[in-house]
Amino acid sequence: MNLKLKNRGWLVGGALLASLLASTAVMADTLTVMQIEGPRSMDPGDQSATYTNALLGPMYQGLLIRGSDLKLQPALATEWSVDESGLEWTFKLREGVVFHDGTPFNADAVVYNFERHLNTERGLAASGRIRTFLSKIEKLDDFTVKFTLKSPYPAFLAILTSNSGQQVSPTADAAGNLGAAAVGTGPYRMAEYNSGEYVLQEKFADYWGDKAAGEDEIKWTWSAETSVLNMALQTGDADIINPVPPVFAAQIEANPDLKLSVSDGSAVFWVSLNTENDALSDVRVRQALNFATDKVGLVQAIMSGYGSPANSPLPSVAPGFDPSLNPYPLDLEKAKALLAEAGYADGFTMSVVVQEPEARIGEVLQAMWQQIGVTLDVRRMESGVWSDAAFGDQAKKSAEGTDSVMASWSSGVNGADLQLRPLYHSSSFSPGSANLGFYKSEELDALLDKAAATIDEDARNAIYVDAQKLITEDAPHVLLYVTKDLVATRANVEGVWTIPGGQIRVETATKN
Amino acid sequence: MTLAPSTVAPRKRSAMRAALSWCGSHVNIVIGGGLIGLIVFAAIFAPLITSADPYAQNLMATLLPPSWEHPFGTDDNGRDIFARVIYGARISLLEVVLSVGLALIVGTPLGIIAGMAGGVVDTVIMWVMDVLFAFPGIVLAILIVSVLGPNLINLLIAIAIFAVPVYARLSRNLTLGLKRMEFIEAANALGISRPRILTHYILRNSVGPLIVQSTLTAGTVILSAASLSFLGLGAQPPIPEWGAMMSVGRNYLGVNIWMSLFPGLAIMVMVLGFNVLGDGLRDLLDPRK
Amino acid sequence: MKAYIFRKLIALPLILVGVSILVFIALRALPGEPARIMAGPEATQEAVDLVTIRLGLDRSLLEQYLTFAGNAIRGDFGDSLRSRLPVIQEIAERVPYTLTLALTAYLLAISIGVPAGMIGAIYHNRWPDYVVMIIAIMGASFANFWLALMAMNFFSVQLGWLPLLGANSWQSYILPSITLAVLPTAVIARMTRSSMIEVLGQDYVRTARAKGLQVRSIYWSHALRNAVIPIVTIVGLNFGSLIGGAVVTETVFNWPGIGRLMVDSVRFRDYPVIQGVTLVAVFGVVLMNFLAEMLIAFLNPRIRFD
Repeated sequence: MNLKLKNRGWLVGGALLASLLASTAVMADTLTVMQIEGPRSMDPGDQSATYTNALLGPMYQGLLIRGSDLKLQPALATEWSVDESGLEWTFKLREGVVFHDGTPFNADAVVYNFERHLNTERGLAASGRIRTFLSKIEKLDDFTVKFTLKSPYPAFLAILTSNSGQQVSPTADAAGNLGAAAVGTGPYRMAEYNSGEYVLQEKFADYWGDKAAGEDEIKWTWSAETSVLNMALQTGDADIINPVPPVFAAQIEANPDLKLSVSDGSAVFWVSLNTENDALSDVRVRQALNFATDKVGLVQAIMSGYGSPANSPLPSVAPGFDPSLNPYPLDLEKAKALLAEAGYADGFTMSVVVQEPEARIGEVLQAMWQQIGVTLDVRRMESGVWSDAAFGDQAKKSAEGTDSVMASWSSGVNGADLQLRPLYHSSSFSPGSANLGFYKSEELDALLDKAAATIDEDARNAIYVDAQKLITEDAPHVLLYVTKDLVATRANVEGVWTIPGGQIRVETATKN
Repeated sequence: MTLAPSTVAPRKRSAMRAALSWCGSHVNIVIGGGLIGLIVFAAIFAPLITSADPYAQNLMATLLPPSWEHPFGTDDNGRDIFARVIYGARISLLEVVLSVGLALIVGTPLGIIAGMAGGVVDTVIMWVMDVLFAFPGIVLAILIVSVLGPNLINLLIAIAIFAVPVYARLSRNLTLGLKRMEFIEAANALGISRPRILTHYILRNSVGPLIVQSTLTAGTVILSAASLSFLGLGAQPPIPEWGAMMSVGRNYLGVNIWMSLFPGLAIMVMVLGFNVLGDGLRDLLDPRK
Repeated sequence: MKAYIFRKLIALPLILVGVSILVFIALRALPGEPARIMAGPEATQEAVDLVTIRLGLDRSLLEQYLTFAGNAIRGDFGDSLRSRLPVIQEIAERVPYTLTLALTAYLLAISIGVPAGMIGAIYHNRWPDYVVMIIAIMGASFANFWLALMAMNFFSVQLGWLPLLGANSWQSYILPSITLAVLPTAVIARMTRSSMIEVLGQDYVRTARAKGLQVRSIYWSHALRNAVIPIVTIVGLNFGSLIGGAVVTETVFNWPGIGRLMVDSVRFRDYPVIQGVTLVAVFGVVLMNFLAEMLIAFLNPRIRFD
């Protein structure tokens, strides 16, 4: 609209001038993306946030990349192989690639990149996972590198496409200002970073791949206000918004100027029950809570229908997901019976710590569980305070009376191990990792360890089917739902897609 | 007997006329007091005004527009907004009483002590007050609520703390002013003890201005609570606190306006009521008149 | 008077030290480690510890404070944990946005609030008085984030007249500054009204009236001049609450000022930035209060400070 008024001004000023300008002025086409959260760092290896990964996506690349079909494809590596032990991986690197600052991309750069994660003194925020499986990396020749793993690791290739596998310019990293100024090998380079308002990206002239794809510039903005996201899309201030608040989805879908894209997501929402708590240490009580949870109602109420009930601890996009499971259909009678059996016929009181955006789920559960006599004390917390409470150890949780934690976990399509191990393995007790309820099952530990060491995919997935059954039976979590990823664009935008979990890819998107 | 009506009626009429004329010259107090009275009424008689349960959810009937059944519509969890607004009056009044009370209880003695004592005590107290006052209120509240955890009581403490310097300054200035008055000097000369001067003379003469200031702060309390709710630091769910309701409702602006509009209007009535009442009281209690 | 100014000038650094200690302690008491937030939920405890060490947050509180204070005196507030930019640079980029917005809002508030208050005083206790004052207070009785969102929806989305977000043109100042001005407008209007009423009742104004001076000139020259003092006071003293309003307004309108910086920094526990922003804001507030007091003293030498 603003633009329209300006155009009218030009017409009044003189049609000749206007047409002259229109023909000579090279208008850079800018694709504007608005997300719910701003970037946490310009260094992909020093943060682990989905929305930051989306923003850094056009500027950085890994040895491999995930294509829009979700399959792994060559990127900065052209081919790779693994020895029989599953421990030694050799990668052939792409030649003729340069970073945005002119630093050549070669084996030295790759070695530098992984060594900065292995170097404990660096203390980079995203190094943890690489350090768990990578033993060392060596340069074989200028364009060949060899990784040695500590043990076979099925998710290795997937990790190379994720934030910690993104290749940064060694020159820029050594200079120490990568956190504020991105330097990668991607098709776009950073033009401007106004930390209060936007990140502007422009085409990188020396990009090794298709230079023509995508718009001239990509501008990233952000607002934590969901209604502002919606308004920005309506006015055209944003060409793309991510994520779409579910409550606006129907309205967007009905608007011919806008497009809603819905895809299967990977974020599983759950309530982790503290198994150290008297009542919750009884598996029957945990099962009762699962039976008392109307998952279909939750999906409708919280996600406006854009989600699916979580019948398994894995999302449907994860390899090994068992679609046949439905262990806890809504059944209040059964729930009451289980509670009575466990000695809690009159119910009991428990607390749950939730973050601001999830407070509503807490309120809905409060009402649902009240029906079987369980009084839920919803403790809504600011995100930093929440993470402090949620990731406390046993002593801290019992001191603070934290009986359960509501959260979600998303491992994208990087393999079931990254979903199940941190949440349910007994070596993952919080604060070390995300087994927030201190659930311990030797049987499950064995299954997860066996699966992680199984290279054959079918055999591995079969083990995960058993693991899913075991977890749902022991019910350390009340499983709620799996979200759909909702992204909306103006109707003229093509080529945007989403990696399950909410990371959008926009570098090949165009505006017509 | 027959005379009775004619003797009673004029008296009644004149009393009424007097009351009316008092109201006519104190429109502020009438309007402000009326609005606040309305809220107090709603708070006390909430269960009689509405039969709906402010906590009862119905996920099959969320975000409904106003209707006979739900005069203000329903919220995102299918709760009756009218019932929540009516019951919310209790919470809001509680907020006002507690946080204004807390600010008064802490601020007034500090101010009086500073004013009476003078010297180093005065300097130190007022220096601390200056530090508190210089903190932009909302920044202070963000820190306090984040440290203590977001719930209604901590919210009230945060709001009260940044009102403390206002009362301290006010009561110190009143004390200083009164100290110079002849009757205090006379009391001093007569050898009346300091605590007695404090309670009998200074506190009593400060009541008027403090009441006026309290009504004016009362309005800002509710607005501050709403702002803090907006920043995610408000009352815990599912308490029907107006600011929190409004703050949740804002996420639906664009598909549903009722969820935030009605609590917003309730806040407006309250703030308006307290401010107008405060203006009226100031006119009434102004010693210069 | 000189002694008073001198005392205030000494108090200023003391207040800043007090505030810095307070913020420092409050931040460390704040649950939520920056390292955990940066490393994300999937990070191992070892990774979180290493980040903590890198950020220097494993050292003793006193040591951290002394380092901070020592550097702060030299104008170095450290680097943002998040953007790695020097805090002073981040703040310097943002302050002009907040200042211009606050200034625009104040100008608006004064140019509407003063005439409104005068109308209220001139028609004291008659209907124009009630109408003007109730409108002024009513505007200020709505939570400003809600007003802002409604205004955005109406003027930007529905009508398309004004830009929705950001600070790119003079038009983008319109909605945020109006939102921010609503509260001070009401305050100024009420202050003007009450002090004008007082002045109008004073003997010399009555005398002037009796002498047959034009009513309008009485209002403007005599009454208003005397009403200026309380207005200046209120403007100076309310600078703090204006900053508070800016936090909310900037958040809604994506305004790249220090208010939004503050909110973002609290979310990420970006200690150095929170410290820097608070100190700058407090400095601004204290300075404004001081200037207001000086101006009052200048306008009315009879006022005593003690």
